[in-house]
Amino acid sequence: MTKVKVDENELNVDLTQSEVEWIQNTLERNPSITELGMFDVMWSEHCSYKSSRPKLSLFEDAEKNYDYVLAGPGQDAGVIDIGDGYALAFRIESHNHPSAIEPYHGAATGIGGIIRDILCMGVRPIALLDPLRFGPLKGNPHSQWLFKYVVKGIADYGNCTGIPTIGGEVEFDKCFESNCLVNVACIGLGTIEDFKHAPSRAYNPGDYVVLMGGSTGRDGIHGVTFASRTLTELSEADRPAVQIGDPFTKKMIIEATLEAIKTGYVRGLKDLGGGGLSCALSELTGDGGTGAKIDMGKIFTREPNMNSYEIMLSESQERMAFIVKPEGLEEVLNVFQKFEMAHAVLGRTDDSKILRVYDGDNLVVNLPAIALSESPTIPRTEKRPDYLDQLLTEITPEPSKKLDEIIYILIASENICSKEWVYRQYDHEVGVRSVVKCGDGDSGVLRIIGTDKFIAASVGTNSKHCYLEPYEGAKEGIVEACGNVIANGAKPKAMVNCCNFGNPEKPESFWYFAEAVRGMADCCKNLRIPVVGGNVSFYNEDEVSNTAIKATPEIMIVGIIEGEDNIITLPFKEFGDDILIIGETKAELGGSEYYSVIYDLEGGIPPKVDENQIKTRWNFIQELYKKKLIKANHDVNKGGFIITIGEMCFKNELGAKLDLKDYNNYGLRDDELLFSESVGRFIIETNPRNHNEIMKLAKKFKIYVKKIGVLSQNPTIEIKGLKSGKLEIDALKMKNLYQSTIPNLMEI
Amino acid sequence: MRVKIAVLDFPGSNCDLDTIHVLNNVINIKADLVWHNYFKESKYDGVILPGGFAFGDYLRAGIIAAHSPAIDEARVMLEDGRPVIGICNGFQILTEAQFLPGALLQNDTLTFICKWVMVKVENNETAFSNKMNIGDILNIPIAHAEGRYYIENLKELEQNNQIVFRYSNENGEYTKDSNPNGSLANIAGVCNLERNCIGFMPHPERASESILSPKGTSHGKNFFYSMVDFIQKRL
Repeated sequence: MTKVKVDENELNVDLTQSEVEWIQNTLERNPSITELGMFDVMWSEHCSYKSSRPKLSLFEDAEKNYDYVLAGPGQDAGVIDIGDGYALAFRIESHNHPSAIEPYHGAATGIGGIIRDILCMGVRPIALLDPLRFGPLKGNPHSQWLFKYVVKGIADYGNCTGIPTIGGEVEFDKCFESNCLVNVACIGLGTIEDFKHAPSRAYNPGDYVVLMGGSTGRDGIHGVTFASRTLTELSEADRPAVQIGDPFTKKMIIEATLEAIKTGYVRGLKDLGGGGLSCALSELTGDGGTGAKIDMGKIFTREPNMNSYEIMLSESQERMAFIVKPEGLEEVLNVFQKFEMAHAVLGRTDDSKILRVYDGDNLVVNLPAIALSESPTIPRTEKRPDYLDQLLTEITPEPSKKLDEIIYILIASENICSKEWVYRQYDHEVGVRSVVKCGDGDSGVLRIIGTDKFIAASVGTNSKHCYLEPYEGAKEGIVEACGNVIANGAKPKAMVNCCNFGNPEKPESFWYFAEAVRGMADCCKNLRIPVVGGNVSFYNEDEVSNTAIKATPEIMIVGIIEGEDNIITLPFKEFGDDILIIGETKAELGGSEYYSVIYDLEGGIPPKVDENQIKTRWNFIQELYKKKLIKANHDVNKGGFIITIGEMCFKNELGAKLDLKDYNNYGLRDDELLFSESVGRFIIETNPRNHNEIMKLAKKFKIYVKKIGVLSQNPTIEIKGLKSGKLEIDALKMKNLYQSTIPNLMEI
Repeated sequence: MRVKIAVLDFPGSNCDLDTIHVLNNVINIKADLVWHNYFKESKYDGVILPGGFAFGDYLRAGIIAAHSPAIDEARVMLEDGRPVIGICNGFQILTEAQFLPGALLQNDTLTFICKWVMVKVENNETAFSNKMNIGDILNIPIAHAEGRYYIENLKELEQNNQIVFRYSNENGEYTKDSNPNGSLANIAGVCNLERNCIGFMPHPERASESILSPKGTSHGKNFFYSMVDFIQKRL
């Protein structure tokens, strides 16, 4: 906090002393109280990326290096050309801080914000995905409360707006107890023409600036500065900084905006999110190279006597700003009238490059438009935490339980068990596009009506692995999310990320961020996947218990499936078929679910990623798809491949006869073999008569593939070839544990 | 005979485009999406009130839409025997407008439920079921928070044969497990005495193409074929 004297008052701002001086020098005067508030908001970490920007430059320039990328980082959403004249927009962002103190509205407005970002690209939002993090549910009413109301907030908002929630990911870990993470992702679909119509810039002087949607109230003032601090005991008092969502108005905004764009008279548009009008107006004009003259009196407010400071900084939800061609103003306003949406013409753009806001005759804001979006960066120091050396040397204890007992415990663990309790509450079918239902695939699959093309999308990361090795963990996130869309038959096309980290002012926290970005940048370069957008959420740290969250770089991947025949799902289909594993299993139990659930251990050596090998595996799988040799596919994830096989048995209640005698290449212990989380493996179902052909292709691709068993009608998983002898698992008991865990845990 | 159907678009309707897609591209008949304020009954042979959250479901699901001018237009159609169909939120609107008896209460789970279920046909002489057979078991999804059908006088409803669809299991039995939301007597859809107005909680428009169905079925089509058939027989 810095104290700044403005006129007669002294104001507390989150800007640093040198930033305040920079502003005074640039303006050659003291800023007005409203101007200072605008700088305070726009230069917050949340809006300005002042700590993260230097690191984010490590990512390859997506627009330059990939011809199908239409919009990359820096825009409201990434946009790619997926052929047949269609553009796909997508983005992910965080709404962690608001959700930690007000889970229902925090999560709901998170959904609201991400929908607006997609809408800004001129396309219709068609799907939502939500990666979430909470403290463990068991016996913890606070975590259950957060979990229940975050899910309800997402459901109520998403369902009402008619956008299906098609996927997500949930992890539970003690470090998220006070700092839950709510990341929200949205996908939009439109024609390339739709996208080209509506940049989020005001390039032309003389256009009208029109505000449409909800009224401006006192809610959400300084929401972004609040999100740029750590949580403290006083954070409860920040509850008024959490906005209140209105999904009905949002639905109207979506329809009115899309119809307004269709008139051809909208030249630019921008949503009002973090930073409210300050952010929208300065980015529209600043980035467009224009200025504007705005009459504040035209803004419709929710309550009387709001001053310019409150109006410019309000983060009231459900508002959009439009830049409209003069000759089309009437037609655009008619559209807003049809939908009975409140609107006001605030002023016009000009060539002054200055943003002027008048309150009556008073000029309350008079700033170079570009100044607000040009915050100085802050160099941060990085330091690898000392505790890691000790954590990484932890070794696997001797198993204290029998293997079958461990398998039943793992399948019922909060991080592995079915998330049906969550997705039943989400309308995942509205829009008649959802082809692979929740639970039937590693990713959500949507059809593009009128084509034979499908979109597959997945989100995720492994926070426990990132905690031990953020560089490798971030890579793993990408390989996993890609693996998920590949398992459904898609080719991964592009990535966006949402970086959730602790306080960047602490060198240890910043080291995690720097390492994760380095990992993502290297991995994407090696796998040829463009990074088309990102979001950074720092300060996920709790001063009461003095804990930072485990590093959580959430990855979202979208892929494309060409042709209905090529859609693959996860459940095993037919007994008598072969079960094959692609990829070797190594002793990589560090940060595994097995360590965490059975021994309460957080250390050990986590999995490493070899992009070259991974890439060849993916090419091999695509070849098998082309030859129609795969009947079911599931990416191996938490709990190891034995859990993967269990999950594939559940839907059709099949069983498996496994023999692992020839699979254990590294002479691993039984628990290492079964529960290791080595990255980039797949379990596939194939017809036995294709075995030779598959093995021939494996040799050609130099890929490690092994037949480890066959499907049986009897729902039992028999495992032979273990050092400890034979093992028999009841697949139905496993299924029951898988399905009942969360409903049984939720006490509230 | 050209059949013209209107799909009413209230602010907050969100299955409007899905229903139009199925009518135009799967059933191949002419259907218009009509903004509620512009709706004129004289232009149409039948009307569908689609799913969604009309007027945000504020106050109570369906009640604000039930008092809109578009419903006065629909009442003219109701009274002269043209089909008036409510799907999900449309069903809620039709009960609030008292086109149909009973009410739709919050699910007994107290949550929104999105899930594929089975329904069994009980009456095949209505504008939304006349191309089906009594006893047909249909695979179809629900997606609602307020879908628990309730009526004071169940006996009268049964005596008048106004129960058109009930939730059942795969064998056609009306069990507790097959009743997703706690509806009275497993009721999923009802009609008026004249059989031209039907309300149905599940979503036939989401079950009309095999690619969308987990079991590869397309039972939803029969609902819309029934509506078209009903209109053609009237004309």
